[in-house]
Amino acid sequence: MRALTWHGKHDIRVEDVPRPEIVNPNDAIIEVTATAICGSDLHLYHGRVPSMREGDVLGHEPMGEVVEVGSGVETLDVGDRVVVPFTISCGSCWFCQNDLYSLCDNSNPNAELAREVMGHSPAGLYGYSHMMGGYAGGQAEYLRVPYADVGPVKIESDLSDEQVLFLSDIFPTGHMAAENADIDEHDTVAVWGCGPVGQFAVQSADMLGADRVVAIDRVPERLAMARDHGGAETINYEEEDVYDRLMELTGDRGPDSCIDAVGTDAHGTGVVATSDRVKQRLNLEDDRPTVLREAIRCCRKGGTLSVPGVYVGRADNFPMGPLMNKGITVKTGQTHVQRYLGPLLDQIESGNIDPSFVVTHDAPLEDGPELYETFNDKEDDCIKVVLRP
Amino acid sequence: MATQHAAREQRDSHRAQSDSGTATDPVMRGVQLVVGTVLLVRGLGQRSVSGTVTALGGAWLVSRGVGGPSGMKRALTGRNDGSSERGAERTAPPETDVHRSITVGQSAEDCYDAWRDPDTFSRVMGHVADVEAVDSDRSRWTVHGPYGQDASWETHVVESEPGELVRWETPTDAVLPNEGSVRFEAAPGDRGTLVTLSVSFDPPGGTLGDRALQQLDIVPEKLAGQALGRFKSLVETGEVPTLEKNPSTRGEGDTV
Repeated sequence: MRALTWHGKHDIRVEDVPRPEIVNPNDAIIEVTATAICGSDLHLYHGRVPSMREGDVLGHEPMGEVVEVGSGVETLDVGDRVVVPFTISCGSCWFCQNDLYSLCDNSNPNAELAREVMGHSPAGLYGYSHMMGGYAGGQAEYLRVPYADVGPVKIESDLSDEQVLFLSDIFPTGHMAAENADIDEHDTVAVWGCGPVGQFAVQSADMLGADRVVAIDRVPERLAMARDHGGAETINYEEEDVYDRLMELTGDRGPDSCIDAVGTDAHGTGVVATSDRVKQRLNLEDDRPTVLREAIRCCRKGGTLSVPGVYVGRADNFPMGPLMNKGITVKTGQTHVQRYLGPLLDQIESGNIDPSFVVTHDAPLEDGPELYETFNDKEDDCIKVVLRP
Repeated sequence: MATQHAAREQRDSHRAQSDSGTATDPVMRGVQLVVGTVLLVRGLGQRSVSGTVTALGGAWLVSRGVGGPSGMKRALTGRNDGSSERGAERTAPPETDVHRSITVGQSAEDCYDAWRDPDTFSRVMGHVADVEAVDSDRSRWTVHGPYGQDASWETHVVESEPGELVRWETPTDAVLPNEGSVRFEAAPGDRGTLVTLSVSFDPPGGTLGDRALQQLDIVPEKLAGQALGRFKSLVETGEVPTLEKNPSTRGEGDTV
């Protein structure tokens, strides 16, 4: 089958790889009809995520048609149309039982590797390094889906692929970020990063009743999208000082909740951001915590910092003192996607939200490598890429 | 810790005085040397659990083939550093003790029953070796060499308490001498069963076995952790997570 594969920094290829097969009784195989490139795929593209191997199949935002089911699968049949969450979760362990699906105890075959690095292993993920499971991803014609009764959500209405595809990751991720932000009706919520997750965080903060949402980015078309679709006020951090502007907007109190929808590859400006880049090149730090520093500085005393942005390792100059003395609560984690599939599908079906607004590029899988580049360089007003195998 | 050291020293001195079981038949020694070297080289080339087992098995066979650990050192370095007097000045191979626990969301009885099921065990350890039930208390472990030669040993259950404990040993002349136990007790906070695996594991072949261990970086602990993780998955979900047939440009399966 054709698949997008990782061969190192800035080296994505489209190649022939073997077709996946049913291995375990609870597996299903889906024929992928639509699959997206995620902002967190760019961390792989930059070579920032450890334990990738040359030839790994990428992708964790797939949907398609069930073409084969294992003997243990009860809820899916051949022919079902499903969206597959990026988190692989067994459904039986304590974490899955407590709706903490991205922390599944059983789905990572390389759990020992993750344990060595992190102390414990979270759930396995599709196409996101060997430490995170080593599973082949969904930027391919076919995908093996373990624990098929636990992950995929069936689409039984005639909604288009691009309307439901983002249930796989970015819509639930933006939504969980807003949930983690503990929003009250009078709150101002600041969202750093207006990529797709930021866009859904803006939308969800609004849905959860925020009084005001402020979106922060440097790309004009992304800021425009947050304004037009999410009703957000916007700050272009290359044109004005984020702290000053946020204080101005909040009567010097600071936003009640701050959401970091950027993560490890933050750009930032100034001396410290430059020093992060140098340290990262010299392998002295893994992450550039530019946004975390700024958000902690800006956040209201006693406020909440929600971090959906992906970080991969160690970050320097983390302002622990300000965080502690200002009494800020931090909530984070990979998204417990399965928790949100039903409720968010209802939101889409009832017409409250049409997630397809983020799509700017829709192309065949064969164009994947160049679209990684386009998305990375934010060229051609690229915000979200959907690929069709 | 001090008591552990004391126990280890006692075992070491005991082992140093006992016959190390070097093959006397020159043909047998030649076979052991060749097979052992192949296993060792292959094992050290694989940063994996099965690679470690292979390397250790190989180191043991090499040591048999060249006349014990000091002979092996001579064979490898071409030097006689005066350590040939067995047991006198030689540092005995360090014994590696591994303790790992995991919480399994099932009753102690279910965990015990699963552990005693020979089918379970071959699935839990399948990535390391073939484990075959000889009878209800004996298992035969086989690690396959690259050219069809096998390293193989048996474990015997020497004590078992349903719902509580299983203890096993290998015969003293096993390729990979080890003894171990698994205990089942109520996990804290009513979260199922705490399963604790303890293995005392002699890296065979003295310095080389030791080097294999060091090169491969706390692998006995990794082995125990993997075994426990796979056991937990099997009990909780009925299957072991796997990358078998996992597609990549490299082909199929997990070649980590």
